[in-house]
Order: sequence, then structure tokens, then C-alpha cells
Amino acid sequence: MALRTLLFAVLFGITAPALAADAAGVVKRLQGTVTLERDGKTLPVALRTEVQVGDRIVTGVDGLVGITLADDTLLTAGQNSQLLINDFKFNTTTNEGSLLAMLVRGTLHVVTGLIAKNSPLQVEFRTPTLVLGVRGTEFIVDAGDGATP
Amino acid sequence: MKSILAGLALLLLCACAQLPPPVSGRVILLPGPDGRSSGELHVRDAAAADAPWQLLLDPYAQIERVGGVLRRSTSTAQSVQQRYGGLLARQPMRPRRYIVNFATGSTQLTPETAPLLEQVREALAEQPAGEVIVIGHTDRVGSMEANDKLSVARADAVRELLVAKGVPREQISVAGRGEREPLVRTADEVPEARNRRVEIKLR
Repeated sequence: MALRTLLFAVLFGITAPALAADAAGVVKRLQGTVTLERDGKTLPVALRTEVQVGDRIVTGVDGLVGITLADDTLLTAGQNSQLLINDFKFNTTTNEGSLLAMLVRGTLHVVTGLIAKNSPLQVEFRTPTLVLGVRGTEFIVDAGDGATP
Repeated sequence: MKSILAGLALLLLCACAQLPPPVSGRVILLPGPDGRSSGELHVRDAAAADAPWQLLLDPYAQIERVGGVLRRSTSTAQSVQQRYGGLLARQPMRPRRYIVNFATGSTQLTPETAPLLEQVREALAEQPAGEVIVIGHTDRVGSMEANDKLSVARADAVRELLVAKGVPREQISVAGRGEREPLVRTADEVPEARNRRVEIKLR
């Protein structure tokens, strides 16, 4: 059994991973000032920076950032935005998983990926005022300045 | 003079009163690349957990939260471009898929599909932060175990060919799925050229 598990890991585990085990996604496009808040620290963001669950991505007045998640979900955050990756789980063999993200402020363009296709009830986006359940789709969500009048 | 000022003040007041209340949330469903509906969105007010979900189905269907109330309307391509054009222009690339095929039992690419690797290299070179995911497959001739190994060997072969073309090795990841994920379903031990393949995903 142990041998079989090991064999499975060898055969199916992606060798030379493009993503570290705990990475949810990778920064693919970048413009202006973009930072990332992780464990109370503010980190710089560059092309190929890995994004993890719990990260808060912050764009400045001139900042835009495009992130591809491991399941092919495309997230693009506009200027003056804050995006929190609350939850991301993805099984590369079954293409199932879950995704929860919160747009605290600003604008976000989303093209959903494999999770929305294979686990449609497991993809949710939120703003301070709205909750979005997603079934395989493309959309823009705008949280304004994050106020909730 | 006083009455003119009073009139102006009244006008200002009216103008203020007619300013729409602020939009505190907006969702716009966009068409897919083919221009048709890309799926569906269920939207509800975050402040009211028991509020009914509203369904967005058609391209440019929109929900705005105005003065604490959700309002449905329809946006347009022009309006989205005007307001969110910068956002749309900076999306990461959509993943692209390429399939190359192999001779029976071998890691030798078919001459028809081998030139695709050059296309992969060119497309990757255009991306500022591109990566390639290479996944090998087999048909059902041979044992499961042998096919698991063959599928990884095919993926490795594709990686080496890409590296030889100048693709940085660290941008390529490799996996094998054996005969478990056929493109075309067949009985066991049936040769099927379309299943002897490596799928290359560029993103």
C-alpha cells in the first residue's frame, strides 16, 4: 500500500513544480505599485511572485496586477484595490477544489478556471456589500471604495 | 438680488437632491471569448444572509447596490470598456493547449505534430511570466504500470525538446497520467493514435 502510494506520488506528482506546494497562484502581469501583505508583513510583488492563501494583494493608485491561479482562474485587480485570497484548494488530478476571495476595495476582473467547472458550488467571491456564487464564467466586480452605505 | 440668490440656492438643493445615491457594489457578467454567455452568477446582498439570490445569465447583465438596495440592469460593451478598459487590458493570458502525438509504444513524436513545439516556444517567449505544463498520456496497449512509465517518459521527451529549443527548464513542469485519461475511449489493448499524446498547456 505504501509502495503504491509512493508510486502514485512519483507518477502523478508534478516534477519540477512551477508552483510551490503552498502557492495558490502566480503574478503574470504587473503595472505600477503592487504589494502583498502576508503574516503582518508587506512584501514587494514582481512578475512570477507566488500568491498564497491568506495573502492580501494591494494595488496603489497606479497599480494593476494579473494573477493566474493553479486551476487556471485569471484574476486581474485594478487601481486602488485590495484582494484577499481567503481559501484556495485544488487537486491537480481530479481538477476539483474550492476558491473564496474577498475584494475589500476596488475592482476585479475574473475568468474562472477548472474549479468552477468541476466544483461549481465551491467558488465564491465577496465584496463588503455583495456575495457572488459562480458557475464557470467571466465577470467584473466593483467594490468601490469599500464603504457599505 | 436676494430672490435670485434664493433661486440659485434652491436650484443647487434640487441638483443635490437629484444626485443618485452612491453605488456601493457592482457586478457585471461578461460574454465569453465567443461573445455568448460565459456562465452564470448568483448574487446576493452580503448584509442579508437570507436574501434571495439573484441570477445573472446574459452578457452584460448587471447588478448594482444603490442606497442599500440591489438593482438589476444591463450594461454595454462600450460602458464596460470605458470604465474597466484598463482592467480588461491587463488580464493574464488565457491558457492555451497544444497536443502532440507519438508512435506506438515510443517517445518519438509524429512528424505531423512535432512542429507544434516551435509554436509553443514562440508563444511562451511572448509572455512576461509564462509557464508550460506538460502531461503525458498513452493508449491502452500494454499494462497500466508500463503505460504510467511511458506517459512520464513522453512528457520528459517533450520537456527535453523544449529545453533544446531554448525554453528555460524551470518554466516547464511535467506529469504522466498513463492510460487513465484517454481522449477517445477504447477497450483495453486497443491501439489508438489520438490517445498516444502529450498535452502541453501554456499559461
